[in-house]
Amino acid sequence: MAEAQNPEEKVDLKSMMKKLSAGASYRRMMAAHEAGRPICVASAGIPSEIMFAMDVYPIYPESLAAISSGIRKAEEFFGEARARDFSSSVCSYTRCGLGISWTNKCAFGPIPDPDLFMTDVSICCLHVTWWAYLEDHFKKPTFFVDQPATDDPDDPAYIDYYEKQLREMVKFIEDNTGSVFDIERLKETVRNSDLTGLYWKKIMELRKHKPSPASFRHLAGQILPLVTALGEKDAADFYLAFYDHYRDLIKQGVTPAVGGEKYRLIWNGIPIWHNLQVIDYFEKKGANFVWEPYTSLSWGNKTPSGRLDPEDPFRTLAVKYTNVLTNRPIEERFKFFEQAVDEYDVDGMVMFSNRSCRPQSIGQDETVEMFRQKYELPVLIFEGDQADAEGFSWEDAKNKIDGFVEVLEARKR
Amino acid sequence: MISEFKERIEKRHELGRQLKNDGKKIVACFYGLVPKELIHAAGIVPIQLIEERKSQYEEKSELLPYLCGMSKNLTGQIYADVFDYVDGVMVGTVCDTNRHVLDIWAHRKLFSHLFLVRTPSTASKTAVNYYTAELKRLAGELEKISGTKVTADSLCASIALYNESRELFGRFYDLRPKTALSAESAVYIFSSALVTPVEEHNDMMRRLLSNLATDSGASNDIKLMLCAINLNMAIDVIRMVEKYGGTVVTDDLTHNARYGSNTIDMDGDPFEALARGYLRKVPAPGIYSFEKRATEIKDRMTKAEARGMIYLIQLYCDAYAIEYAILKERFDAWNLPYLKLEAEDNPSSIEQLNVRIQSFVESLL
Repeated sequence: MAEAQNPEEKVDLKSMMKKLSAGASYRRMMAAHEAGRPICVASAGIPSEIMFAMDVYPIYPESLAAISSGIRKAEEFFGEARARDFSSSVCSYTRCGLGISWTNKCAFGPIPDPDLFMTDVSICCLHVTWWAYLEDHFKKPTFFVDQPATDDPDDPAYIDYYEKQLREMVKFIEDNTGSVFDIERLKETVRNSDLTGLYWKKIMELRKHKPSPASFRHLAGQILPLVTALGEKDAADFYLAFYDHYRDLIKQGVTPAVGGEKYRLIWNGIPIWHNLQVIDYFEKKGANFVWEPYTSLSWGNKTPSGRLDPEDPFRTLAVKYTNVLTNRPIEERFKFFEQAVDEYDVDGMVMFSNRSCRPQSIGQDETVEMFRQKYELPVLIFEGDQADAEGFSWEDAKNKIDGFVEVLEARKR
Repeated sequence: MISEFKERIEKRHELGRQLKNDGKKIVACFYGLVPKELIHAAGIVPIQLIEERKSQYEEKSELLPYLCGMSKNLTGQIYADVFDYVDGVMVGTVCDTNRHVLDIWAHRKLFSHLFLVRTPSTASKTAVNYYTAELKRLAGELEKISGTKVTADSLCASIALYNESRELFGRFYDLRPKTALSAESAVYIFSSALVTPVEEHNDMMRRLLSNLATDSGASNDIKLMLCAINLNMAIDVIRMVEKYGGTVVTDDLTHNARYGSNTIDMDGDPFEALARGYLRKVPAPGIYSFEKRATEIKDRMTKAEARGMIYLIQLYCDAYAIEYAILKERFDAWNLPYLKLEAEDNPSSIEQLNVRIQSFVESLL
């Protein structure tokens, strides 16, 4: 297992941000296409370690949808979906992502014509339909990494089934591109992915510090390479640079909460991409988000040891990618909240009931119920959508936050 | 005869309790990918969870407002002990809602036995092997309820019975447009199959088919096809169509499409045959060819001489909504006259469909 980089070797944060920002990722994609690398439209749960090991460059429509929403350039893509009679009850990532596919452009400009499509089924069933549509409509070779619905992702037979498919995925890439698989390259990308996940986890743990040095808003953006560049050395360097940066902030006593950290909160759900200012507003009120399932449990080295094993790359990737939180019973998921309340010393929770993400949202009420019963801590519930701003009222949101902070304040006295 | 079918569906809970009193074990199925043959082979009666038209069930469900009416209605029924005669529930995922509502049922311990069918979305050799093992695992779990072991012979016999049901429905749908049978009766005939022991329903179907007379009388009604998932709403739409001079001569009611469309080939090991019979063979979004799905709808319309099609979506059913939007590309390319409707299963939402249905029927005159 690779050791963490020597802490004396500092990586320059600014240069890493330039390399791996959303805009930079777009430029890298265009450069990869110009260099003749096959382009794959992939879902966020696909092992990008394998793609990078085989010189396939992935485009992630869900990420592009989140970014488009975040920089307020998603409406064009939603308009395309509406014109084609896609109901707003369909996930906004899907509608926006399809809009990107139909128009062959994203918020930053045109995107190359892809060579392949690949999806997993782990995160949601809709992935299958979405990618089945891409295959049907655009007629490109498509690979489905199947993960049946399960309530026991640790079942060895389940992990075996997934692992077998990763080898089929390799064959699919070989059959449909000029790439030849090299196990040593896969070990290298897994090594990079392991370090990436390690530093990300270390950053998450820094947030136990009082005050927390990291803004959930910034982390929501900094998570991008964990989705899009997993397997590249730059991604590992990126998070090492941020880890050092946050350690420095701790030494300086810097915290995003304005006027000092008064409240420490959990955010349960995907960020509200079109209105990340919600987080800013909490911080303005002295509240830091210190833990989220989205940052701490959805990305990185999701293995029992917290590390990946580059010497057994297929198995380690199978263990990692089958570990999907929403495939666990509600009581098991709640244990992570219990751990977070203990370790992060939490004052309350904000729950985002996201109509686009049913796997995340169904069961949230039960989580809130258990949370209230066990801890008697206050909970604020937002309803809305992750990427579609329709129906979201900033004034309503502010009023809700104001009321919630008053409750938090009253409890402190 | 039709009254016999109608009674089976309208008094399904009474009849279910009667089966229970007779010593039968019952497992309820949600949704259309549950391998009922396996449940039957374990000596258990599989019944489908079906919506009941009472709005208090949706309110009682305490589920998120943007979830589909079906999941809310069923959860509300469960809380109201409507399914007190059921020994367990088996969920075969076709969408995220039906998959994750099971988590809530499990969390609230609503049934003593809850099973999630881990169905692959592909039909590769690896997937078939995985699903074959999964079916054997499920058989072992079902045996604990009934005390009856699922053997190769018992599974073959069960598959044969459900294949017969599919064959009988195939004959029924071929014959139906040529008879005077009402569309509403057809819904009762089909929906009763979901809640009646398969042996009994096969017998009812055989008697029906031997007594169904063709009707050579010409009708001026505009012939339509109806695609729908919610049976109550399907009946409402049928009645509205008839009010405006149309008649629904054939349909694609989702439960039927999913259970009735594909005969299982019984070569070799029956567990493997069952696995092969379900993987990529059941029309559900994303796991069945869109081309085949759309073509089957078109062919059914052609056979029944339907001049138009109504595609009825229950509000917040994202699976059906996305399937429609995808199939629409073909419907438009084929110039197939269709009307998409979206509504909740409540009187005020359904009432608003009147004008659109009237316009659609009149447009086909």
